[in-house]
Amino acid sequence: MPNNSIDIIRILETKLCGKPVQIIPGQLGIVTVKASVEGYRDIFKVLIEADEKTAISAITGIDLGANIGVFYHVRTSNPLLTIQVEVPKENTTLRTISDIAPSAALHELEVTDLLGVTFEGNPSTGHLVLPETWPDGIYPLRKDVNANEVKLNPEPPEEKSDEGKLVKIIIGPQHPALLEPEKFAVFVEGETVRKVEPRIGYVHRGIEKASESRTYIQDVYLVERICGICNSCHATGFVETVEKILKTEVPERGKYLRTIILEVNRLHSHLLTLGHAGLEIGYEVLFQYFWRDREPIMDITEMLTGNRVISSSLTVGGVRRDIKDNDIPKIRAVLGDLRKRIPFYTQVYRDEPSIRARMQNVGILKRDIALKLGVVGPVARGSGVNIDVRKDEPYEAYGEIPFKVITKDAGDTWARMNVRMDEIEESINIIEYALDNLPPGPFRVKVPRAVPSGEAVNRVEAPRGELFYYVKSNGTTMPERVKVRTPTFANIPAFLTTAIGEPLADVPPNFVSLDPCFSCTDR
Amino acid sequence: MTNLAMWARLKSPWVIHFNSGACNGCDIEIVALLTPKYDVERFGIKLEPSPRHADVLLVTGSVTKQCTDRLKRIYDQMPQPKFVVAIGACACSGGIFQGTYGVEGGVDKVLPVNAYIPGCPPRPEAIIDGVVKLLNALAASTKKAPKAASKEEPALNAEIEVTEEVKPDAKQ
Repeated sequence: MPNNSIDIIRILETKLCGKPVQIIPGQLGIVTVKASVEGYRDIFKVLIEADEKTAISAITGIDLGANIGVFYHVRTSNPLLTIQVEVPKENTTLRTISDIAPSAALHELEVTDLLGVTFEGNPSTGHLVLPETWPDGIYPLRKDVNANEVKLNPEPPEEKSDEGKLVKIIIGPQHPALLEPEKFAVFVEGETVRKVEPRIGYVHRGIEKASESRTYIQDVYLVERICGICNSCHATGFVETVEKILKTEVPERGKYLRTIILEVNRLHSHLLTLGHAGLEIGYEVLFQYFWRDREPIMDITEMLTGNRVISSSLTVGGVRRDIKDNDIPKIRAVLGDLRKRIPFYTQVYRDEPSIRARMQNVGILKRDIALKLGVVGPVARGSGVNIDVRKDEPYEAYGEIPFKVITKDAGDTWARMNVRMDEIEESINIIEYALDNLPPGPFRVKVPRAVPSGEAVNRVEAPRGELFYYVKSNGTTMPERVKVRTPTFANIPAFLTTAIGEPLADVPPNFVSLDPCFSCTDR
Repeated sequence: MTNLAMWARLKSPWVIHFNSGACNGCDIEIVALLTPKYDVERFGIKLEPSPRHADVLLVTGSVTKQCTDRLKRIYDQMPQPKFVVAIGACACSGGIFQGTYGVEGGVDKVLPVNAYIPGCPPRPEAIIDGVVKLLNALAASTKKAPKAASKEEPALNAEIEVTEEVKPDAKQ
């Protein structure tokens, strides 16, 4: 049960009484706290003491003209807080909060990379998403920078490993086990992994900057292409945020249709991962089985939206097309067939000796570490952390649909995969319930092209976990700033922690159990 | 010997897949090609993990600045003759990401491309069709000039563009 009894605002008001902090409930998602450069660290200390589920959801950097705004979006049991700090462009230095909340380290590095705010005391260095050859002092998300004309530095020579006895094994960027170009330097001593150094950013296209020069409608298509697998979730995250600024209410039928599309998306993504995990442990038959059963789900997606993969079905104000009456029995038939297959797959994932041998007790992430690292989605639920945005902060029709949040306590690779396995059945239940109770009426409302000034945050439960969106509008047809924090970004620290001390051969199953998606992470 | 190699290549092209900055949409469609519904292995098309064994390079996604060098290196590692297929709108032209600061452009900015398969993402049937058209063009060029596979130049300069939408075959 999400612990809603903790009154975060009361605690903040009592503990921070007399400090230069301004609490504004209601704006920017739920609660905004304006803090000074001196006082913001105290807020995190208070929050972490008060609520074990406190984690940094995202850190948004934003160019405000003379100042750079750093917005810490903090997830607690209830609600989502936004702590705003501003620093002048002449002296963009802040103290890190990664010593208080370890989940902040990567988020801070991203703000340093893209906006040039230095966080004193942050252990991570170098570029995060920009290439290593990116010239110093050019921060693409600042408004006065034309990053298109940037000339990259020449490629530096390969560094020699100075790790002493450790052997450096480089996985990627092109590697049979990776579908995406990412590089991991794994340092091993004998067979045991001692250190993992990720190098992400190979898929960094600059979508956040690009969205500032496109209209809101064009942006829906752009953000869908952050990730082809969970594209509907990205579209939902964006359009809901814009609807919050517009104060538009989507018709009931539109909400139900969105819910159906989102759950079909989750089904295809979970089947993909469960199959892919089979491939990683050398169990290719399982991969072929799962992908065979995934094809009818792709057909449903096509029936609902017109496209197999990238649905382009959601728009600001509702969905773009209604469900056809004669398609509903076909969708039910496919779901019925999949439901019949589930007991078999569940049995395979639970009892099959080869799966248990490769996944059980591999990559154990204990509950307290999971809370500390702020992991999301099936990774958190596999460690017994009960978080699911669909329940914690219901959006679309999820508030009206009954479903269970699956959690497992073991925290290993096996638990994470079994969470996904059980979620498939829940998704089928949700889709069937939504089809049974599909309300009549319109599925879309007309919205103005220009969005009034304002800002909003929004969270969506993507197949990989909590997906975070922040949009700031300025009264024109184009947004001022769009910030996306994707679930894999929040889950990477879990892999870096759990891989240490395990054999090299356990790296692939452990890694794939996060369901990593780097086109999301890099944007 | 060249003829034998070309015959083998036409009957069973080995492909390597590289994601140079795609959104995963095209990539999962390429993986779907290997699965029971489409099953391209029955045509002898085999997904090969190493560039040193591959005949055809399938590139998905717009080429990001950080991937440019990697893509060139993979192409250089492939043995002659080699062919490049750009899969998806982004690989063909940069697509929706054209003009963003992280993106160099389409694949043809970096490598010579032999076949373009548009779509966002292209259906698996369209990808099969594109590869088959490439093989047909290759077969035709072999008949005209049997010794085309020289070591200096790619054998095929014919550029094929699959423009028509391929109808899904319901009985697949």
